Amino acid sequence: MIETDVLIVGAGPAGLATAISLKRCGFAGRVVVIDKGCAVGSHVLSGAVMDPAGFRELLTEEEIAKLPVEAHVNRESFRFIFGAKASMPIPWVPPMMQAHGFPVGSLTKVARYLASIAERLGAEVYTGYAVTELIERDGVVVGARTGEKGLAADGRPKSNHLASEEIAAKVTVLAEGGAGVLTDRLVEAKGLAGRRPQSYAIAVKELIELAEPVAGSGGTIMHTFGYPVNLWTYGGGFVYHVSDSRVMVGYALGLDYIDATLDVHEIFRRYKATGAVGRHISGGKAVAYGAKVIPEGGFYAMPRPHALGALIVGDGAGLLDGLRIKGIHIAIESGIAAAAAIAETSADAAAVGERYHALLRATRGYAEVRRVKNVHGGFTRGAPFGVAMAGLAWATFGRFPFWMFGRRHRDSETMRELRPGALEAAARCAADPAIRAFPDRLTDVFMSGTLHEEDQPCHLHLVDPARCEACERRFGSPCTRFCPAEVYRRDEGRLRIDFSNCLHCKTCRIKCPLENVEWRFPQGGDGPRYTMM
Amino acid sequence: MTVVVCIKQVPDSTNVRIDPRTNTLMREGVESILNPFDAFALEQGLALKDALGVRLVAVSMGPPQAAAVLREALACGADEAFLVSSRAFGGADTLATSYTLSRAIRTACGGRPDLVLFGKQAIDGDTAQVGPGVSEFLDLPLVTYVKALSVTPDAAFRVTTSMDDGEHVIEGRLPAVMTVTKDAAPPRFAPLAGAMRAAKAKITVLDEKAIAADPIRIGLTGSPTKVVTIFPPPVKGGGRKIEWRGDAAALAHEIREAIHG
Repeated sequence: MIETDVLIVGAGPAGLATAISLKRCGFAGRVVVIDKGCAVGSHVLSGAVMDPAGFRELLTEEEIAKLPVEAHVNRESFRFIFGAKASMPIPWVPPMMQAHGFPVGSLTKVARYLASIAERLGAEVYTGYAVTELIERDGVVVGARTGEKGLAADGRPKSNHLASEEIAAKVTVLAEGGAGVLTDRLVEAKGLAGRRPQSYAIAVKELIELAEPVAGSGGTIMHTFGYPVNLWTYGGGFVYHVSDSRVMVGYALGLDYIDATLDVHEIFRRYKATGAVGRHISGGKAVAYGAKVIPEGGFYAMPRPHALGALIVGDGAGLLDGLRIKGIHIAIESGIAAAAAIAETSADAAAVGERYHALLRATRGYAEVRRVKNVHGGFTRGAPFGVAMAGLAWATFGRFPFWMFGRRHRDSETMRELRPGALEAAARCAADPAIRAFPDRLTDVFMSGTLHEEDQPCHLHLVDPARCEACERRFGSPCTRFCPAEVYRRDEGRLRIDFSNCLHCKTCRIKCPLENVEWRFPQGGDGPRYTMM
Repeated sequence: MTVVVCIKQVPDSTNVRIDPRTNTLMREGVESILNPFDAFALEQGLALKDALGVRLVAVSMGPPQAAAVLREALACGADEAFLVSSRAFGGADTLATSYTLSRAIRTACGGRPDLVLFGKQAIDGDTAQVGPGVSEFLDLPLVTYVKALSVTPDAAFRVTTSMDDGEHVIEGRLPAVMTVTKDAAPPRFAPLAGAMRAAKAKITVLDEKAIAADPIRIGLTGSPTKVVTIFPPPVKGGGRKIEWRGDAAALAHEIREAIHG
């Protein structure tokens, strides 16, 4: 049995901020951070234009100066895209939306940097171990269990089988990111859910290397909305020049979409084929790819971020400014609040939760989330309404409307059944050679570096395989289109699951219209190997 | 009984790119990993530790960050770890490396070990020369391509090797040097508790003085071979497919056109 004072599950910005901050405020106990990726940052992905507010609270001036980013935002624009060739800049951008001077770069690299600081200060960071279960005693979370390794596909132990290990902890901090499995299980078991179910967007992203550096382009950023999705769908894209020779291009699609034919990767390709984006990346070559979900439900979807013995920080607690789609700084602030609560209460399981909640409410990030509390709500009534509402929210700095607003459906409930011929029509559009010039899904999956031991139980468990046949008739197996990694495909009249392609984004467990996918943990260390995302 | 396993940190070759302008390896975004063959060698050492209670010593030569692979070995159950590291060793070819490692192994064990295990080759250089080289410098018998190994308490060994013509079964008596293939038993996983122990464990750094190396036999000076250039081979074109359409004369004409342009 391993014993620690604080166990932090997940080495992203929230978890590492908790660890750094605990050591900074003089917490003498043992602090252990565990991540299921093969290295720190290998499962961390964001745009990322980072609001530096979080770093300022967490790091010293000297440490901020050494952040591994090559550019700061110096030119920014918002564009509405009408179609492949037409777009228009938005003339007025509220000051709160502006990001001038913000660092722009890879969150993977930033996570590695934060881990090095945490370790220097005396926290311990271990990677390659999946924490698969929380341990409870008398209703109090008292630690967690790691997943087994070396199981064969049929579940039998192989010659190199490694048993699960128990970690006893006074406080367990869940920093799993969006749609974390342990977090969601805890929220469900303890009734911590917010007033509205959490809603997500799936974001896909490529790092593109330009053929020739463009002097002075580093620090240019662009956000867009509109095409390639229609007005009934919530989605938008970004283009960030992270240096003079490299561009991050990404697209986020709201998972409360209704059209079963939507294909997230194809939307992404279509997006790159627009003139608005094309002028930033022409002649460039994609060298890395990744995908992740963003919790967009906003203030009313935030769960109560604590249970006895457990705290939830970062994306797992739904802490995201839904108007700016920024969460890194709030994740860091939540980590700082969790650390302060743990230190003040000497890691007392009974007292730490309420204290954390109080400290979290006092952060600026929390106030931001509250201010834009209804940005998501408008979109739950259809996008024209949502756009109008978002416009009003935009003009009122996110405040309008002032009451809780919008429907309360889960992302899995919004999809409409397929109309005859709809898939064929979508396929005809996808055959456009301008779109096919960009990497296809499997090429992108290769560039994510994702790797899973093939001889292990499939971590994407179908609750009832028969439901997939009903889904094929009603929705045409939308998992084959919303999965950004081609894990799901129809072959010889049945659904096949190539789990080794998985990017751990959890879109399938969120969007499957019959909620048929149970996400179990693959062997620790498996999954994407992001290094520059 | 003392068993030494020599391990190397290598770039994860699944992700290596070469800068087309400078022909140099682009290290950014490339993880460093334990050479996969060495993981199989380590497993053989750990199995001997389980069976006979041998003292298992891990040795790696490389820059300071190569300590990471030694911590992996310690996490899996190796007893001691030595990092052979000094600027003076830089630029060593396989001869100088074999010499340096053989000196380091003697220092680490305080004499000659009973068994030295290597992976068959490293995935970065792919030479497969250092294991055999060390066996020469230590003046020990060598068995390569080992896929299974058993040792009795009185130091008699029996190995199965994978060869082109099938499997060979070889019996002998330690001491010996062996290189292990990926047909051997799959490497074990380090338990978290082991990784925690390893994070705090001491790794002894051995430099040229500690191993009493002859200065003209190490590093660039001690290397008779030099890497002159590194370049990616030119990418082959896709070729052209000429299809049979039922007319031999037309096909012959097409082929002739393709050849003569």
